[in-house]
Amino acid sequence: MGARAHEPPRAPRPGRVRAAGRLALVAIAALSLAAGIAGGLARMGAGSAPPVAIAHHAALMIAGFLGTVISLERAVALGGTVGFAAPVASAAGAVLLLAGLPSAAGTCWIAASLALLAASAAIVRRQALPHTVLLAVASALWLAGNVGFTLGAREGVIESWFGFLVLTIAAERLELTRLLPRRPLARVCFRAITALLLAAVLASFRGGLAGGVAFGLALAALGSWLWRYDLARRTIHASGFARFAAAALLAGYAWLACAGVAWIALAWGCIGARDLALHGVALGFVFSMILGHAPMVLPALTGMRMRFSNAFYVPLVLLHVSLAVRVAAGNGHAAWRAAAGRANALAIALFALLVIAALVRARQDRGGAGAIMEGPDLALCRRP
Amino acid sequence: MKYDFPFPYCGEREAGEAIAAALQRVIDPEMALGIVDLGLVYGVEAEGAAVRVRITMTSAACPVAGLIMDDIVRELEAALGTDTQVHVELCWEPPWAPELMSPRARRALGA
Repeated sequence: MGARAHEPPRAPRPGRVRAAGRLALVAIAALSLAAGIAGGLARMGAGSAPPVAIAHHAALMIAGFLGTVISLERAVALGGTVGFAAPVASAAGAVLLLAGLPSAAGTCWIAASLALLAASAAIVRRQALPHTVLLAVASALWLAGNVGFTLGAREGVIESWFGFLVLTIAAERLELTRLLPRRPLARVCFRAITALLLAAVLASFRGGLAGGVAFGLALAALGSWLWRYDLARRTIHASGFARFAAAALLAGYAWLACAGVAWIALAWGCIGARDLALHGVALGFVFSMILGHAPMVLPALTGMRMRFSNAFYVPLVLLHVSLAVRVAAGNGHAAWRAAAGRANALAIALFALLVIAALVRARQDRGGAGAIMEGPDLALCRRP
Repeated sequence: MKYDFPFPYCGEREAGEAIAAALQRVIDPEMALGIVDLGLVYGVEAEGAAVRVRITMTSAACPVAGLIMDDIVRELEAALGTDTQVHVELCWEPPWAPELMSPRARRALGA
């Protein structure tokens, strides 16, 4: 076997220690996810969980799980070692929260979000474009939410955390719209929606109707904008992984728009809209994004190859169908709602199993499982 | 000598054709388009058993750069032989712009 030499400044393939370290961070994030799901099911009366998981369902899901994963992505993109301070601090926060120390966890998450902000700023210095600036802004929202969580703020934490997630995803999608024909009006609309979302998050710390309505309006507008202008409208006509990711994205945008409308209703006092508002964003949008991108991002984060297969559609469809049932059931049909909640969890668990199976198969192939997709999508290129 | 390759190339023509075919098999999985069609290959030099490839990414925040670089190495070793010394350099200058995409990529994306 010939020598395989790589010169800096390429993003280095992780050595064994670094690969093990990244895997440990992913494992802690997964533990936070599992605890958060258990807490969520217990809240619905669909299972039991430790008190800390029930009390801090949102923190475990958003800060503990997603904060660690997003920070790890940013660190891998940046390269080097310093960027890994953010995911390490975030994972430490998850561990501390599971140990029943929420204030210490919040302090770690404040440190993590400061580190993520710094890493994002470094990426802006490398490439100063709207999407990299927006990633940094999103990091600041995570910081705001973490400060609120640590100080025990009654308002604004969820909006800040959701703003962090939504703007992070929107920034990554915004980057891809550069490949599409220029649409000046679309760009203006996107900036207006982003400004509205930021203003709404700030207003939400004060509580009240205006912040809630503005936040819901921004979510609905963003979901609609992404549905209309995202690259997924093109790649849905591709094959394999690209088509799967596009399907996950488009379904997620529809949920985001619906969740925004529900958020407005909730702000006006319609308590029945709460589940759609919160879990339309968290499950319908964010988790659909996760399922849609994990087959590509997990190999990048762990250095372990895997090949996409159509089996991944099963948990994706289960997630969306079960969410629709859950929302339709509402509080009036508690048994159906609980069953649908279990199906949400099953979808995520099934997806995790498929990922693990794909990683194991790739290791057994030992170099047979190469790229996630074979060859360019000629169908996409042939379209007039 | 200037050849008609879809990226700046310096080296023997025969090697260049094999390299171009190999690089066209490396794709960005999110866009379902090849790195050559996307205009991510800034230059290739082939001298003896050594091949140097300079590439960029559309986004500095993209975590899959390492995977794509590994795919480049794998495809070039498969095309040229495992004795090939492959050097892949990730650079950010000049900044990537949509104008660097090939005509067929732009057609595929509706431009």
